[in-house]
Amino acid sequence: MNAIDFLRKDKFSLAGVVILVFFGCLGLAGPLIAPYDPWYVNRDKEGNPLFLTTPDSTHLLGTDNMGRDILSELLHGARTVLIVGFLTAFIVVFIGANFGLLAGYYGGRIDSILMRITDVVYSIPFTPFIIVLVALLRPSILYVVLALSLLMWRAPARVIRSQVLGLSKRPFIKAAKVSGASDLRIVYLHIAPNIMPLVLLYLATNVAWAITAEAGISFLGLGDPGLVSWGRMLHLCYMVGAIRVAWWWLWPPGICIILVTVAIYLISHAFEEIANPRLRKR
Amino acid sequence: MLLEITGLRTYYRIGRDCCRAVDNVSMNISKAENLGLIGESGCGKTTLAKSILRLLPRNAEIVGGSIRFLGTELVDMDEEDIRRIRWGQISLIPQSSMNALNPVHRVGDQVVEAIKIHQRMAKNEAKRRVEDLFGLVGLEKNRMRDYPHQLSGGMKQRVLIAMALALEPSLIIADEPTTALDVITQDQILEELTRLQLKFHNSIMYVTHDISVVAERCHKVAIMYAGKLMEYGSVSDVFTKPLHPYAIGLRNSFPSLRSKSLISIPGSPPSLLSNEKACRFRQRCPLSLDICSEREPTMIEARSKHFVACHRCNETEILTSLEHDREVWQTIKGF
Amino acid sequence: MTLLFVLFRLMPGDPLSGLIGAGFQLTPEVRQALMSRFGLDQPLHMQYLLYLRNLLTGYLGWSLYYQVPVLNIIQSRIWNTLILALSSFVFAYSLALVGGIILAQRQGTKIEALGIVLSAVSRGAPMFWTGMIAISIFSFSLNWLPSHGMHTPGYLAKDIVEQYFSLDFLRHLVLPTVVSGFYFLGLPLLVFKDSLLETLGEDYIELARAKGLSERAVFYKHATRNAIMPMLTTGMTLIGLALEGILYVEVVFSWPGMGREIVLAVWNRDYPLIQGMFFLIAVSIMGMNLLSDMIYGMIDPRITYG
Repeated sequence: MNAIDFLRKDKFSLAGVVILVFFGCLGLAGPLIAPYDPWYVNRDKEGNPLFLTTPDSTHLLGTDNMGRDILSELLHGARTVLIVGFLTAFIVVFIGANFGLLAGYYGGRIDSILMRITDVVYSIPFTPFIIVLVALLRPSILYVVLALSLLMWRAPARVIRSQVLGLSKRPFIKAAKVSGASDLRIVYLHIAPNIMPLVLLYLATNVAWAITAEAGISFLGLGDPGLVSWGRMLHLCYMVGAIRVAWWWLWPPGICIILVTVAIYLISHAFEEIANPRLRKR
Repeated sequence: MLLEITGLRTYYRIGRDCCRAVDNVSMNISKAENLGLIGESGCGKTTLAKSILRLLPRNAEIVGGSIRFLGTELVDMDEEDIRRIRWGQISLIPQSSMNALNPVHRVGDQVVEAIKIHQRMAKNEAKRRVEDLFGLVGLEKNRMRDYPHQLSGGMKQRVLIAMALALEPSLIIADEPTTALDVITQDQILEELTRLQLKFHNSIMYVTHDISVVAERCHKVAIMYAGKLMEYGSVSDVFTKPLHPYAIGLRNSFPSLRSKSLISIPGSPPSLLSNEKACRFRQRCPLSLDICSEREPTMIEARSKHFVACHRCNETEILTSLEHDREVWQTIKGF
Repeated sequence: MTLLFVLFRLMPGDPLSGLIGAGFQLTPEVRQALMSRFGLDQPLHMQYLLYLRNLLTGYLGWSLYYQVPVLNIIQSRIWNTLILALSSFVFAYSLALVGGIILAQRQGTKIEALGIVLSAVSRGAPMFWTGMIAISIFSFSLNWLPSHGMHTPGYLAKDIVEQYFSLDFLRHLVLPTVVSGFYFLGLPLLVFKDSLLETLGEDYIELARAKGLSERAVFYKHATRNAIMPMLTTGMTLIGLALEGILYVEVVFSWPGMGREIVLAVWNRDYPLIQGMFFLIAVSIMGMNLLSDMIYGMIDPRITYG
């Protein structure tokens, strides 16, 4: 049974896909349907700023401490979050997969060199490095993506390499070599398709990871101040001390993050079952 | 009578379908007697073996028939009582020696475990017992402290044999005891089992698809196909004068020093999910007639103590004389 | 050998201190004084040698913000982090063990489905948010547990035992532990459940049953022992990752540990502190990986060191 059928049958991944599609639409259309500009300080009839108002008919999710509409912030933030997530994941998987493919296929010196590099990167602690890097460079979304990508490729690289090592020894690869196929051709046309399930799996988990990491960095105040992001919303909420009172500010961004990441994890669970049939329900 | 199986039916539930893995099968084993259970992969013989020990998976169930061991009914026995019978009275040499031993426990400990489950014994005494057993099967004593991955396939098989004999059961079920081994080791293992049988006077049920093993070591043979019993009798009767077309075909497809060529039976077994009232072998049988598609043949005693389930069992001598005629087999309708 | 690479990699740490000038608005004279004080006006390779020499003697730098050696800061903070980490792990893994067994026994039921969702939520919910929620519910609304710090302000412990074992401390420890632990248990739970199910399908489990072992004994003596391995290995590799996550919990709860200290150092542009802590963390993670490799080798008899 092919992968699409599998995804459709598994209730979890179905739910995950639905949620992701929903957020994908939000990401695309969010800013268009947002009722207010997320930076605009909303005021009441007398012109007084609406600080920390509870949700009502004009502001469905209330306002934050500067009078900005939370629902609009949420909708704009969707776009940021999704861009960071997917962009980072693609870069990471691209680098990691290529490292793994080349190291695993060529072996010998190339493998040693590539793996040494990977080992070094592996020993760098994740969050501190990101924090430090983002702090040094200007806080901007590009640097965030860069910082995240610089470290996250190490995991897929290692795992894909060991897969490729095993695959390279298989007879069909030897046959391809004997029949004169060039190395590049073998690597990308023959081996790569076999590791696709693994690649997809890493793609998925890395999107989730990247989103969470971005949220974390923004939460620490190191994110891009020019962009709305869910992490940043939480950063302000915490800094202002509003968690005491403003549940409408605290809960929605978190729930959105959770929904997106959980959706991804559910889908990736399905990917795992595809890649490793022994996990399927017996 | 050591083991009496009467009309056993074991079915698997797969989704909404029902797979009739063992369908109305009967056979007996006496003390110190060997029975060979032969059949292709998927014919139900392993399910039969598992039914005896009640080791069926969650979606399988014995839906009918009886299995009597020394007079006691096993089919409806309590879990507790069955556990006492397991290994103590009936033990198993499992199919794949590769994975049958727990990789993180020492092999000696695993045999000791088998003993201690059923007998109150001090650990040292049990260990000494295992030492003796290892010696019996031709393993050195210091191998007891090894882990499974440190032993070769043949050695692991010997450990399993030692374990199976540990409590001196009256019946040992050997599930494909030779499949994973090379020919020389196969012979050694079989010799081992025969030799030990002389000492312990146990019965062995060989579950296998290798006819030569049965021909060499068994007194009786039961041939299963697609969940049903096709022919059953003594080895000499069934092998020298087979009555069922399937049995005849099997004889052809096995290499011997006399025949010049191998003739295989074309086609493959039918699905076990169907419940048609017909002979399950008819699509691959050179003698099949309309009656074979209308009624299921019943098991009859065609000759003394020689049972067969075929509508045309009296005429199968035609096949026997033509048995080396490849054309007979190749021109079966549909192939 | 890898250590060498780490050291070389820390070379960029020097440009860090080189940027000191950029971070502060200083008059040229003060700047010059500072630079010579920290040896920054010497050529780069001299700086590097100085750096190496300092490392070997255990001197990790001088914190600009606190005005004490970096090592002092680390010493006072590291235990706090370790305690939090330890308690979170114990919490997380005990739950994962128990949960994995329960879920495996109920395969195919709604409870297992719930478990899968729970594991996903645990991994997906950002720790800082969970922390904030926990604070808002348990500290503010219900007023059951304190919302930050390690001790109630103004509390002075008489000795180290009292500092770490008093009720006040424990009360402060509860929320951060639960929040971190919740995040950590997601993956081990899933891994353990899956590996348990996979183990139960193995041939040797069937043989164990054939030997007459009770279901219970089969489960605990054979299945669990084998299935626990993958969980431990993922656990080992995750320890490194997890410790960084604790950083967020420390920030949210104002728990005075290494993680929070790094964040504060970044906020304060205290570069020597950042550098020193970073180095220490990197070294300890490497050590941890080595340790986990060794432990794994001991547990699984199949792995031998040739």
